[in-house]
Amino acid sequence: MMKYESQGIAKMYFIAAIGLFLGQILFGIIMGLQYVMGDFLFPEIPFNVARMVHTNLLIVWLLFGFMGSAYFLVPEEAERELYAPWLAKLMFWIFLVAGVLTILGYLLVPYAKLAEITMNDLLPTMGREFLEQPTITKIGIVIVVLAFIFNIGMTVLSGRKTVINLVLLTGLVGLAVFFLFSFYNPDNLVLDKYFWWFVVHLWVEGVWELIMASLLAYVLIKVTGVDREVIEKWLYLIVGMALISGLIGTGHHFFWIGTPDYWQWLGSIFSALEPIPFFMMTLFAFNVVNKRRRDHPNKAAVLWALGTGVMAFLGAGVWGFLHTLAPINFYTHGTQITAAHGHMAFYGAYVMVVLTMISYSMPIMRGQKAANERAQVFEMWSFWMMTVAMVFITLFLTGAGILQVYLQRYSENPESFMVVQDKVAMFYWMRELAGLVFLAGLLLYIYSFFAKGKEVEFVEE
Amino acid sequence: MKPDEIQLKQASRATLYSLLNLTMLPIVGFISLCLLYRKTTSNTIDRYYVLLGIKTNLYAAAALFLVTALMIFMGGFESPWTWVYVISYFVFVHALFILFATWSMVRSWTGEKLKRSFLSK
Amino acid sequence: MRETFTKGMARNIYYGGGVFFFLVLIGLTVDTVKGLPATDNSENITEQVAAGKRLWEINDCIGCHSLLGEGAYFAPELGNVYTRFGESTEAIKAFIKYRPVDGVKGRRSMPQFNLTDEELEEIAQFLKYVDGIKTARNWPPNIQG
Repeated sequence: MMKYESQGIAKMYFIAAIGLFLGQILFGIIMGLQYVMGDFLFPEIPFNVARMVHTNLLIVWLLFGFMGSAYFLVPEEAERELYAPWLAKLMFWIFLVAGVLTILGYLLVPYAKLAEITMNDLLPTMGREFLEQPTITKIGIVIVVLAFIFNIGMTVLSGRKTVINLVLLTGLVGLAVFFLFSFYNPDNLVLDKYFWWFVVHLWVEGVWELIMASLLAYVLIKVTGVDREVIEKWLYLIVGMALISGLIGTGHHFFWIGTPDYWQWLGSIFSALEPIPFFMMTLFAFNVVNKRRRDHPNKAAVLWALGTGVMAFLGAGVWGFLHTLAPINFYTHGTQITAAHGHMAFYGAYVMVVLTMISYSMPIMRGQKAANERAQVFEMWSFWMMTVAMVFITLFLTGAGILQVYLQRYSENPESFMVVQDKVAMFYWMRELAGLVFLAGLLLYIYSFFAKGKEVEFVEE
Repeated sequence: MKPDEIQLKQASRATLYSLLNLTMLPIVGFISLCLLYRKTTSNTIDRYYVLLGIKTNLYAAAALFLVTALMIFMGGFESPWTWVYVISYFVFVHALFILFATWSMVRSWTGEKLKRSFLSK
Repeated sequence: MRETFTKGMARNIYYGGGVFFFLVLIGLTVDTVKGLPATDNSENITEQVAAGKRLWEINDCIGCHSLLGEGAYFAPELGNVYTRFGESTEAIKAFIKYRPVDGVKGRRSMPQFNLTDEELEEIAQFLKYVDGIKTARNWPPNIQG
């Protein structure tokens, strides 16, 4: 039922993505426990190692998800087979092996040793948040991403050029270009931090939003049958607003790192606009689902698409706005408030959009229009379990953050970091429980791919 | 009775005002809603959405300000725990009202009522 | 969306807005980088400090601590640790040096990194340099970080 055979390459990417996702959550559970039982797995897996694994797995599996999504969507949109299917397969294995080796490196040898083995001294890029990968891995990422963009780009340029394809392609090119800043690591810490954000912010609050919006638009066209013209107009507006607000919105990271004071104003004003594109995604998803011309048999995919719109707005929009204004950020910067926002934003925007794509495309790659009814019921249960668990994780971390800000930063007699951590421990326990529910939801999600049941009935258009 | 062009426009204006009152233009949005009410007639889609907007915002005002005030009153202004509850509660419930108003807006654009209306008759 | 608002207009907002604000960002970046020497304490970046930064990196300190508010939130902020430790690099060195190898029962504990005395000095000098960066409103809000 795939229109083009090469779309099927997405499947291996998605399977790898889900496997790494599971790994990410397991390490999240470990870290959550270390927050309240400080000596858990110490010194075998210290917190910083668990955190590296947790965040790096997230990045890698989302990249797998984005690539798989692109391989599925681009041929269909471009109305031709993928330019070089063999290259996509080759890159899959290179990326998987490099990714797994890197994670094993984190776990099996001390990080300083890993730096030594991989000759970090030649071009030191390691040891900065989210960019912990050895330089050689970073070079590998660049090669894989360039080969991927070449493949996708040739397919798009020699095929039908839809708005979805073009927006996706600009997003992917941006992803590659901004990653190059990860190789710039000056001794001057302020400069280092300033350009570090050119990777991190311009990814997650910039070009990734383009990728996300185009994936969402694609699935919404497919499951609702709403006119492409309408959806493309929305898509342009959303990604336009994402760039208009998000580019200068980078300034909300330049409040307290030794950069000029004008960023307080620019960062506050423009990042206050950053909820707008996310709000528009909610509005967009609600609107086209409301105007749908057909009831697609894949109800789970529709649920994920709606959920993405809502949760991205909550996590990235609302929880971002909560602490983005400089006078508030003065107190909240680098507290559990940031962690709360980070969790819900990543889940709501990027995890959910990849799961939306998987939900829509996986049955098709397995020769069905939609998964069987029982499998869909499990999948929808897993949606609610993971989503509700993430809402609670966010609320508990927000509670911990508010208390932390008050006791450590705002109070007239500020208390020390570790004293405050003990006082908010109850929130960390509750967060850990919510994390276990999330894990259970994820296991159910994985099970849903194997669940047998009555095939869905649908009318072929 | 099929709503006419003006009724449809007024219905979507009503939901927009409701949303604005919840977000960027509090009070102004509510006054606009009340003014719009006078332009509508009973048993029409625009009257339905004006009333829905007014009710949503009254509920929101109660749920947000009344409950928050109660929390502060009971917890005390100086207690950090008060702010833990107040801020988490306010942000989350406020967002839920915004989402509800957004869904109402989308429904009003197609001239239909909310499928399951739990705030109006 | 109304008919008067065409897809072409939406496209122009995307490409036009994207390019325009990207150029603005580049302009602001040039201005920021030019103005940095006034605040970034770069006059105190010695070879020792640079080596300390490398040590900071290859031991993944950011995986637990925050530095000027960025990093992990598992361990204390270190952007002002030099001040917090009574402006004593010796205190910083001693703290790192005497971490128990097997941790502290039931508590969070910093790993023992087995740094040489020379390395300890470098990392302490790095943290001292960071403390000298002039952040807006003298962030963090107080000595606790």
